[in-house]
Amino acid sequence: MQDVILEVQGISKAFPGVRALDQVSFDLRRGEVHALVGENGAGKSTLMKILSGVYQADEGTIRYKGREIRFHDSTQARDAGIGIIYQELNLIPHLSVAANIFIGREPLTRLGTLNEKKMNREAVSILERLNLRIDPTITLNRLPISKQQMVEIAKSLSFDSDVLIMDEPTSALTESEIDELFTVIHTLRDRGVAIIYISHRLEELKHIVDRISIFRDGRYVSTDEYSSITLEEIVNRMVGRTLEQKFPTRHNVPTTEKILEVRNVVRRGVLHDISFDLYRGEILGFAGLMGAGRSELARAIFGADPIESGTVTMNGKKLTSLSPSASIRAGIAYLSENRKQEGLAVRMKVAENVSLANMAGVSSRLGVISRRRELNACRRYVEELAIRTPSLLQVVNNLSGGNQQKVVVAKWLFCDSKILIFDEPTRGIDVGTKFAIYELIERLAREGVGIIMISSELPEILGMTDRVIVLHEGSLEATLVTKNTTQEEILNFAAGLGGGTGKPSNGRSRRAEERTQP
Amino acid sequence: MSDTHAPRKDPQGHEPGASPGRSGVALDRFLTFGAVVLLFAVFSITAKNFFTMRNVLSLALQTSTTTLMGIGVTFTIITAGIDLSIGSVVALTGTVAVMAAIAGVPIWISWLIGLAVGGVCGLANGLLITRLKLPPFIATLGMMMVARGLALTITNANAWPAPEAFGSLGNDTIFRTGAQFPGISYPVLIMIAVAFLCHFILRKTRMGRYTYAIGSNEEAARLSGIRVGWVKIFNYIVCAVLAGLVGVILASRMVTSQPNSATGYELNAIAAAVIGGTSLMGGVGTVGGTVIGSFIIGILTVGLTMQGANYFMQQIVIGLVVIGAVAFDQLRNKA
Repeated sequence: MQDVILEVQGISKAFPGVRALDQVSFDLRRGEVHALVGENGAGKSTLMKILSGVYQADEGTIRYKGREIRFHDSTQARDAGIGIIYQELNLIPHLSVAANIFIGREPLTRLGTLNEKKMNREAVSILERLNLRIDPTITLNRLPISKQQMVEIAKSLSFDSDVLIMDEPTSALTESEIDELFTVIHTLRDRGVAIIYISHRLEELKHIVDRISIFRDGRYVSTDEYSSITLEEIVNRMVGRTLEQKFPTRHNVPTTEKILEVRNVVRRGVLHDISFDLYRGEILGFAGLMGAGRSELARAIFGADPIESGTVTMNGKKLTSLSPSASIRAGIAYLSENRKQEGLAVRMKVAENVSLANMAGVSSRLGVISRRRELNACRRYVEELAIRTPSLLQVVNNLSGGNQQKVVVAKWLFCDSKILIFDEPTRGIDVGTKFAIYELIERLAREGVGIIMISSELPEILGMTDRVIVLHEGSLEATLVTKNTTQEEILNFAAGLGGGTGKPSNGRSRRAEERTQP
Repeated sequence: MSDTHAPRKDPQGHEPGASPGRSGVALDRFLTFGAVVLLFAVFSITAKNFFTMRNVLSLALQTSTTTLMGIGVTFTIITAGIDLSIGSVVALTGTVAVMAAIAGVPIWISWLIGLAVGGVCGLANGLLITRLKLPPFIATLGMMMVARGLALTITNANAWPAPEAFGSLGNDTIFRTGAQFPGISYPVLIMIAVAFLCHFILRKTRMGRYTYAIGSNEEAARLSGIRVGWVKIFNYIVCAVLAGLVGVILASRMVTSQPNSATGYELNAIAAAVIGGTSLMGGVGTVGGTVIGSFIIGILTVGLTMQGANYFMQQIVIGLVVIGAVAFDQLRNKA
């Protein structure tokens, strides 16, 4: 038995109307990376907030370094050596790296002014412990997100943390940045820090995790050595049933009816001369690494960002001005990657969000809103999409991530969109709801909508699309027929290596010609 | 001061029971309205002659200025903006209207000119904010100085007497039945009509919905096809036209051009909106709340005056009320 640093016994926590945690137990050893997995609402975040002092448990005990403890706020937990790194970084963009690390406890000179020299020196030594070379005087917002996250980790470490909780640390990182993060995590583990690692990306766990604990519906399910459990078993325990298939059976049949024609789109430094077509009833994937320009291409077509040149033709009619309002009128919808920042008015009600992009559909010609028509429209989509909300007038902020995503979908369906662009539609959404969203996308395609799906998860691209466009640094590298391609081939194109799988480099020449025949 | 009134956001955003929701808003309204009734009752008991028809009517007349300006500024605050220029716009529009009337323009047209000048100021604010991307605080701060300077320039800093007929808008009443009922002043009727109209616009029309959506999440609104720039310009025009209305009314009541009038009124208007529950972070606020807020200020002013408290004392009390109202809100949101 290794040295247990943290032991949780029979913890329960209730919120009005919800039992978030029910008799949960679990233990953490020094020098291990312990994954915590479960669907949204499984209670992971609540448990983490109790461990880090944000919430207090209703019952149960926490033993830390052999003593029973009870934190009243997060400062106490932090001072005791339990650090937490949230999904959203808690740093101040306009201050320097060192200032961020030492915020609230800046070293002072004898005169009581800030001792910048000492602060920078100590920041360097903390960063060095993570094998990081970051200039401590640089302003934080000039660093990429991955480096900012490292700064957050460094800040946590500077409190001499023995336990570090990381909540979805890789969600904003690129592949190579994830590798960097894993190196840092290994360094920490070897120094004896115990790490709780929360993630929805089950595939990545194999690189770093020693043990894994599974939660479901606020209850503890199991803890295993990671090497002794399969990915399938993990998923089954998370959802509490066997998931026969990850993706729905595909019935949608792409037609030969061209619905969207994109030609020579250029946005300086971001998109280089991109052309492609989309057909009615087709699901077209956008694959590529982070920063390849997938979202940027989608936003350009939708008119969210300006472009220097290029044309977008819909149903044979060229769109003269590219702006969100013009695109929406033409029938193009964009479901952005960041629901909260770009997709929803989170303080407004479900019904108000559903009607937001098509107010004409619920109001008179003079612009007077009919509450009745609005509620009827909303009710229809709540039923159709099985949105779980206590009421049509619930504030969207109070819904779960999956249901918020459905509200966004409802908004665009209500516009009678002919083309739906889904940007990472399943990010941050739990396994069960993912399937429902896939089914929805498939059904929309079957009904004749043209779908563009941007995804960083290649299995999702392979499982859900008819064709896939691979981007690399803003250029279109290849247009592939999904059923004839492989994960390796897509990755090769995404990395800018061309076809590279034995077949002579015909990546570019096979654009557009290759299509699944109806 | 920018984040005084925001509901606390928790990092995860959707904890159960985190938002006050609908019942919270209803409670807010009930509490602030209760405060008005309570204040009224207290002054009725403590101040002689407070609860008389004459006094109530004159209270309504005095409060109409703050109310109209408060409603206007509520539009801009809901979009997460602000309009600091309205006090100066009141002075400018009033003086322009008076000068026009003196120059021989028919009286009612001179009033309309006043409103139009307000509209132009609002358009300028809106364009500065949406086209040049100036922060609303800066754009309207500049307009505040420019409008005041213009008012002083065109009048040469003098109070010019207007033709007598110019005074009818601010001084005449209807339903007058002699001494026992002195009649309802036009400004009070205008205030009531504007309040209903603006409530309707904010709550029942697309424009109103877009106003809230922009304040709640501007990027989401833009990506939903809302022409954010135009909606904002509309809001600043509404705000400044209402200030123009107040300018014309005040000039009419004085029957003179008053280039130095309404100094600091913008802050009273903002205070009324904030007391009424409008959030400076945007997305939250109602016309009803602002009306109640300005009546709280009005009742305090009149009541304290009648009790013999001097102007300095009134300022202290109203300041404490603004702080107290928002602090109370914050505490309740936390609980």
